[in-house]
Amino acid sequence: MIKLTFEARRQLGYRLMMAPALLLMAAFIVFPAFYAFSLSLTDDALLGFAAQESSFVGLRNFERLFGDPLFWNSLKVTLIFVIGSAVIGQFLLGFASALMLQRPVKYKGIFNAIICLPNAVPEMVVGFLWISMFASGEYGTLNRLVAWFGVEPQQWLYTFPLLSIIIVNTWRGIAFSMILLTSGLASIPKDIYEAARVDGATDNQIFWRITVPMMMPTIFLYMFISTVTTFAIFGLVYTLSRGGPANSTEILGIYIYNQSFTAFQLGYGASVAVVSLVVSMLLGMVYVKALKVEV
Amino acid sequence: MLTIVRPTSEGMSMSENSASFVAQRRAYLTLILISLFCLMPFFWVVLAAFDPKASQFLQIPAGITVDHFWNLLANESGVRWVLNSVGIVGTATLLCLVLAGFGGYALSRTQAWWKRPLLYAIILVRIVPPPALIVPVYKVMLFLNEWVNGLINSLTSDVEQQMMLSRMFSFVDGYLGLILIQCAMQLPLAIWIMKTFFDAIPKDYEEAAALDGASQWQTVRHVLIPLALPGFAAAGLFAFINAWGDFLMPLMFTSSPELQTLPLGMFRAFLRVDAIDYGFLTALAVIYTLPAVIAFAFARKFLTQTFSGGVKG
Repeated sequence: MIKLTFEARRQLGYRLMMAPALLLMAAFIVFPAFYAFSLSLTDDALLGFAAQESSFVGLRNFERLFGDPLFWNSLKVTLIFVIGSAVIGQFLLGFASALMLQRPVKYKGIFNAIICLPNAVPEMVVGFLWISMFASGEYGTLNRLVAWFGVEPQQWLYTFPLLSIIIVNTWRGIAFSMILLTSGLASIPKDIYEAARVDGATDNQIFWRITVPMMMPTIFLYMFISTVTTFAIFGLVYTLSRGGPANSTEILGIYIYNQSFTAFQLGYGASVAVVSLVVSMLLGMVYVKALKVEV
Repeated sequence: MLTIVRPTSEGMSMSENSASFVAQRRAYLTLILISLFCLMPFFWVVLAAFDPKASQFLQIPAGITVDHFWNLLANESGVRWVLNSVGIVGTATLLCLVLAGFGGYALSRTQAWWKRPLLYAIILVRIVPPPALIVPVYKVMLFLNEWVNGLINSLTSDVEQQMMLSRMFSFVDGYLGLILIQCAMQLPLAIWIMKTFFDAIPKDYEEAAALDGASQWQTVRHVLIPLALPGFAAAGLFAFINAWGDFLMPLMFTSSPELQTLPLGMFRAFLRVDAIDYGFLTALAVIYTLPAVIAFAFARKFLTQTFSGGVKG
């Protein structure tokens, strides 16, 4: 009898300990995520008549959304941004770094620290640093670099805006991909390599027949995490270009912000948010199912 | 046997040596190129911060000076941005640690029906892209803001006190709102980290302490907290790094100059294209970046441990 009440008291204790954190996450993340769905069905606005009294408009926002070339543009820009920086750029450079650091090279710690450095920089400073790198005119750092190869000075953020933000995000994310892929490489048993060498396998064969297949789960995990985080990027691109010029770098996060707080259409902005939420939740569920995440 | 193996193995090691020499050179070349790419943007900010004639361009400094850093102390807005950032992010991190400590412990120890659904929910909450929340969060904050300001106005009729309290406790353009939202955004990862660390502490320790007559509080204070210290370090470092670098929430919820934090203050100073003081801004960028770099150096070894939670810190 006493034991039972003790147990019951303990269970109550766990719930009480959980409550404050849950309350905060519910108020600022979970409830807003659901609230976005109901807001997307209204004509809510920051200014004007609808700001006083918004009304239910059904799926009109979504009708407008799917007929809006700017929305499709934003979706396309986001896709290119994610594939260019997370799937290709960060992955290839991070994998290359991880592989090279597996070899018996000197100064591993220094290389490691240098590659990690960009990841530690706050988003705003990233924008600040790269605006100087991309500065136009012959004194811009990048322009001076490409001048060695005989390339004329460019206005990078105007001529190649999407490529520019892809380069910046690649720069920032090499560290993460390197660290994750290094831990994957370290978990491949060494005797497989030794056996392959004894059998006379070449470096190339070892890489494609052993390293790559053994790394598949890690690569999959990397692809998932980097896709989801790149999808959620805002500050990095906003400080560099604010979505411009002419919407060419308007990734979904910035499109939501611009529609809601620059064009003042909260209801319409919320409908874009719903699309973004649905996409990321689908990705998340695929991940939880596919990896059978241990909890 | 030996005589047969020896020559072949020597012959192999010869070719292997030259092959590994090429491979070794390729490894260094790759690493040096990637490192240069990573370092390149930093040269400008570091040089310009000490250059009396700092400009937007990478240049050989006209001299070396620490004036820009001294000027920061004399510059009212620079000092305020730093203090606001430290205050808001520091409080948010501490609050996050307390809540995640309790939450992570409960989540680790309970066997109740809500354990599994809650863990999955936390993974999904981690994945919610913050930009998708801005409109509804803005509405929630407005609602809470009206409520708090109504409360303040009913508590005191002194206008100055009202202003002061409102600055502290408002949800829009006030300290409390920014602290709570920064904390909430970092909670899912922090809870996850704490839960994994508590999982690694055997329940026996607590039971042994209880058997020895320790009270609940003594068990927590002398057994659990010391053992979970690395977890608190990891959770705190990631919460700090993420909140310190966050740009979106300050952009959404601060407008008055007194409340400006580093990211937004610097961004707005940088937008005044006609009057950018590069010496001031680069020095400030160095000050803003250093805590994040130091925290990251400590957090780096925990980074792989957060992967099981699905999303990077």
